[in-house]
Parts: sequence; C-alpha cells; structure tokens
Amino acid sequence: MSDDLHKLVYYSHNRMVADDVALRDAVQQILVTSQKNNRAAGVTGALMFNSGCFAQILEGPMDAIEDTFERIQQDERHGDVSLLAFEPTSHRSFENWSMAFVGASLDDAARFADVARATAFDPSRMDGDRIHAILRELTMAEEHTAA
Amino acid sequence: MEHRESGASAVMQSSQIQPTHEGLLNTAVSQLSVPVLVLDQGGIVVAASRAAEAVLGKHVIGENVESLLLRDAKLDRRAADLASQDWIRTVIGSVLPTRIEPLGEAGFLLTIDPELARDVLEEQQVPDDLTGLPRRKELLTKLNTALENARRDGRPVAVHCLDLDRFKFVNDTLGHPIGDALLKKVVQRMQSACRKTDLIARVGGDEFVIVQEGIPTVEAAEALARRLVDLIGRTYVLRGHTVNIGVSIGVMLSEGESDPDTLMRSGDLALYQAKNAGRGCFAVFEPSMDTAMQERRTLEIDLRRALALKEFELDYQPQIDLSSDRPVGFEALLRWKHPKRGRVSPLAFIPLAEETGLITPIGEWVIRTACHEASSWPGDISIAINVSAVQFRGGGLVETVLSALSQSGLKPELLELEITESSLIDNTEMVLSTLRQLKEIGVRISMDDFGTGYSSLSYLQKFPFDKIKIDQSFVRGADDSSDCGALLKAIASIGASLGMKTTAEGVETENQLARIRSEGCTQVQGYLTGRPMASGAILEFLNKTMMKDIAA
Repeated sequence: MSDDLHKLVYYSHNRMVADDVALRDAVQQILVTSQKNNRAAGVTGALMFNSGCFAQILEGPMDAIEDTFERIQQDERHGDVSLLAFEPTSHRSFENWSMAFVGASLDDAARFADVARATAFDPSRMDGDRIHAILRELTMAEEHTAA
Repeated sequence: MEHRESGASAVMQSSQIQPTHEGLLNTAVSQLSVPVLVLDQGGIVVAASRAAEAVLGKHVIGENVESLLLRDAKLDRRAADLASQDWIRTVIGSVLPTRIEPLGEAGFLLTIDPELARDVLEEQQVPDDLTGLPRRKELLTKLNTALENARRDGRPVAVHCLDLDRFKFVNDTLGHPIGDALLKKVVQRMQSACRKTDLIARVGGDEFVIVQEGIPTVEAAEALARRLVDLIGRTYVLRGHTVNIGVSIGVMLSEGESDPDTLMRSGDLALYQAKNAGRGCFAVFEPSMDTAMQERRTLEIDLRRALALKEFELDYQPQIDLSSDRPVGFEALLRWKHPKRGRVSPLAFIPLAEETGLITPIGEWVIRTACHEASSWPGDISIAINVSAVQFRGGGLVETVLSALSQSGLKPELLELEITESSLIDNTEMVLSTLRQLKEIGVRISMDDFGTGYSSLSYLQKFPFDKIKIDQSFVRGADDSSDCGALLKAIASIGASLGMKTTAEGVETENQLARIRSEGCTQVQGYLTGRPMASGAILEFLNKTMMKDIAA
C-alpha cells in the first residue's frame, strides 16, 4: 500500500451517442459522481470535455489514484484511453477541486470552441505536461470568472 | 544403447523404429495414469499422458519443455545416460518436482511427481484463491445445466475461451505479486463487461472461460467478446507501474445437442484463430477452422518425421559478384519432398516448423549439411544459410555453428548466416549478443529481405552486418518504377558508406541486371544469373561460369 502523492493524466474518446442536451447532462452526471468519489478518496483534479474527447488529471495518494483510474477504465462511455502520465508529484495543482470542470458553462458552445482554438486543444497531440498546464490555466481562469 | 524398461520408454523406442505406429503409441502414452511427457532430442514434447496435461493445465504437445521447466538447464545429449531432476511449472503457478531420464539417444522421458500432481489436481476442484472464481470442474457442471436450459428454451449458450496476451511477460518482468494484482483487476473488468448471470471461470493461469446463457443472436455474443477485448486491453496502473496486456477470445455458440467438450474444443479452435490473426481480438468458430486444424495436425505429424525419414534436401542458388561477374557463393534453400504431398512449399511448412519449435533441429540439419557441402567447393566460394528467429532462442545456435564448422573444416569466413529484420524485433539484445559471438568466430552476417520490415535503419546501426540483401520486390519494381530504382540506389549507397555489401535478389531480366549494376549493388542473385540447383550440379556450374562472363 502506498500513499505517496501521484498524478495521472489521460485522454480518451467519447462513446456516448446523444444530442447536446443529453450529452451535457451525462457529463454533468459524471462530474457529480467523480466529485463525490474523489472527496472520499482524497483525490483532486480536473476534467475537460470537448465534444469528442475527455482529458482528465487525477492527483492524490497512489492507491487512491489507481482505484479511481481503474473505475474510469471500466467505464464504457468512453474508449481509446491513452495514459499520458502516471508519476510521483511533490504538490497538488488542483488542491481545491475534488474535480474541476473546465468550461463549466457548457451553454456557450462557441466559447468552448474558442478555448479549443486558443489552446489548440487536441489532447491526442499533447503530452501529459501540456494537458496539465492547459487544464491548470483554464481552471484558474474559471476560478477567476466565478469569483 | 542402454534400455530403461519403463512402460513409456519401451513405447518410444519402438516408435523410432516404426513411425507408422506413432499415432497408436501417442494414444497409448496419453492413456497413462502417471503424469509423463515424452520429449524428442531437442526437448520438444511429442507425447503426453492425460494426467500430465491435466496437472499442467494445458496442452503441451509441440511445446519446448524448456519453456515449462524452472531451471534454464538445456537438455544435454552428451550426458544422455544420466537422469536429472528439475521442476516444472503448471499454468496456475505451482511448481512440481520432475525426473528427466534419457530414452537412449531418441529423446527423454519426463515424469512429474505423481503424489504432488494429485494434490494440485485436487486444488483444481475448489474455487481459485486469488480471484474467487470457479475452476474447470464447476464450469463443466454449470455448462451442462446451461445446455439443458438452452435445449428447453431454444436460446443458445455462448462459450467464450479467453487467453491473456503478454501476461507471462508481466509476471516474469514485474514479479508474481504484480501479476496477481493484475489478474484481480482483469477479473473485475470481465465482471464489469458481463451480466450477473454470465459464468466466469478460471481454467488456467491466464486462461478463462465465460458462459453466456440465453443469448438471442450471435451478435449478442460478439458484442460481449468485443467489450471484453476493449476493456481488458485498456491500460492498467498497478503499484506505480503502467501495464498493458490484451486478450484473445474464441467464441462458440451451442446448437441442438451440443456437449460441453465439443463446445470448449471449438471455442479453443476459434481462440487459436484469434491468436493467429494477431491477438487482441476475437473469432467466432466456423467449421472450416476444424478442417484447417486437422490439416495442420497431419502436416505437423509429417513434419516431425521428415527429418528422420530424410525427406529434406538442400538446393543451392548462386550469388554473383558484379565487379568480376563470377560466382562468389551460394545460398542454401531448404526443400521438403514428401512421398505423398510431393514438394511442399517452404511457405507452407516453415511457419509451422517455427511455431512448433521443429525449426531448431531442422535448422541444425541445414547448417551441418550446407557446411559439409560447401567445404568441398573449390576456391573461396561462400555458403549462405537462412536462420529463423526461433533458432536464437535456447542459445544453442553458436554451439551448432561451431560444431558444424569444425566437423566440416569449412573456414568460418565462408559461412554467411542470413537473418531477417523480424528476428531482431523480439529479444533484440539477446539476438544481437548471439550475432556478436558468431561474428567473433569469423562468421559473416547478412540482413535478409531488407526493406520489407520496419525500422531497418536502426538495426543497421545496431549491428555491423556484412551484407544487406535487398528484397526482390525492389528489384522487380525497378523495371518500370523509378521509385524502386531510386530505393535500390539509396540502399546500395547506404551499404557502401557503412562498408556492407549489397546483394539484389530475384533478378530475372537483363534490364533489371543492368539497372542493379548501374545503381551500385555489389552482388546479384536470381533466376537470370543462376537457378537453384542440386549439390551435384554445382561443380559443373562453377566450371562453366568461371570460363565466361555471365552477363555477356
């Protein structure tokens, strides 16, 4: 058993076939469940959903990360999961977030598309560090807007 | 020759004398209640008692016993009159003491401790400690019930035979505790893909069977198999390690009067098909698989005795040096003349020989025969011999080459071993170290079929090959495609700058020859410059070609 602080970054492809509204509800549901589970397990992180793809960062004790990731791997709502990073880390980047959701105001699809353009958000072409940096930046921006 | 009169040893002695009785003798061995394996000289399992296969948990005929034994000790033929002790691994990880005794010079008899074997078999009857899943016995009982239900409701049962890909590798490299943790997660994923009513059983170390009851159509079975391949193939994180494995699945649907044995056997055949198709996928059983398997089996039986019955021959194809236009060597080409099948194409039997490990003794025969033949040739005519990736396993290749050289008196620098890029893909380091040893002896090493594999250039950097053989597809294409011409030229110049010779293969026309010459290749081999010939025709060919320019 190990409780060393680790972080894990992955991206995957959405497999849910649904219209925008249903998709938003589904992602919302995923978020709520993951926030609940993560709080209990001491896991923090961020999730980004951009029509075709999920990108997620998990940080916390190694065992908790492994359990959380295993649950994610058994979820058939997404597929082609690529693990971009799984490594020890000295500090949490999303301390205050049981699971931050980037682009929480999904209503504005255009804005989301802008984010994608501005950040060149194509997770399949990025490494774990890059995704980590982008998600961190965007979460900070969200936090700022919300305040 | 000393004879040990245990039942099975007497059986094997006579099978050497009368190969026609082989089937009968194999059946006799299979009926023995003692767990025994009969091995040939090379350590390949040629017969196994049911008791042995039951305790080992898998079919082992055709496997090299070295993959089962705990020690890496090679069976030593020179110490052929001494019995030795070793330990054998079962698929569920038990390790049992065994006694290996020679059967004269024909092979070996391996006996597993019968009492401990019985204990292991009894363990098989109770649920698996690690995963809590039922084992084979409960599986068969439940499958019987499921089949009765199916006959009543008219909704078939699907049997999924699962075999994890690369699990052994994880176990060997990361250790058993990680392997065990991985198996638990694999089982969770299976459970997550299945309905609660589906039965999952662990029938071997990394083999599982899933019984899916009351399915409406074959599509429902395919959907489950597809989900299993997807979920089990996803990356695992285990105690800080990232682990990737896959699963191959064979699927069989029950119909009418199906019985458990036939269903499982057909599922296994489909599994074999899925593995052959590249693993990480599933295959649904089709009757043609059964026919193909029967054919493969009879071919395998014939192949096993081909060496003893002297059905192999070597032909030799000349290699011409382009600066002198004179033959400088021959490539040995293996031919199999079967009394009934006629000439069997190497494309048909080499893959089977590799899969069954028979390539090792066959390859050894080729090396010895070709070296012996070449030692009688005049001047410094070299001999090129193809070596399969499989021959690098087990570590006997260097010894074989040394012994063939000393017996024939052939100069090491006249022996060229040709390997393909694919031999380097797995176990690169091990293969490279063997190549280095061979090179130290003075043997030349060629890269065969260059250009048809993947990372050819990186391999050229990793080892100082003496020669690159350019695949015939580039030569044939050079007639009408300037791309192929450009590639020929590029490969020839890579060879030149790395100090490697380049041989263009498959040359058939004067045009191609002129092209090859102008692009800077150093040697040529093909129908135009010399067809493969029997050993008896070589001296005449050499005499003739030494007299005149072949390109004239």
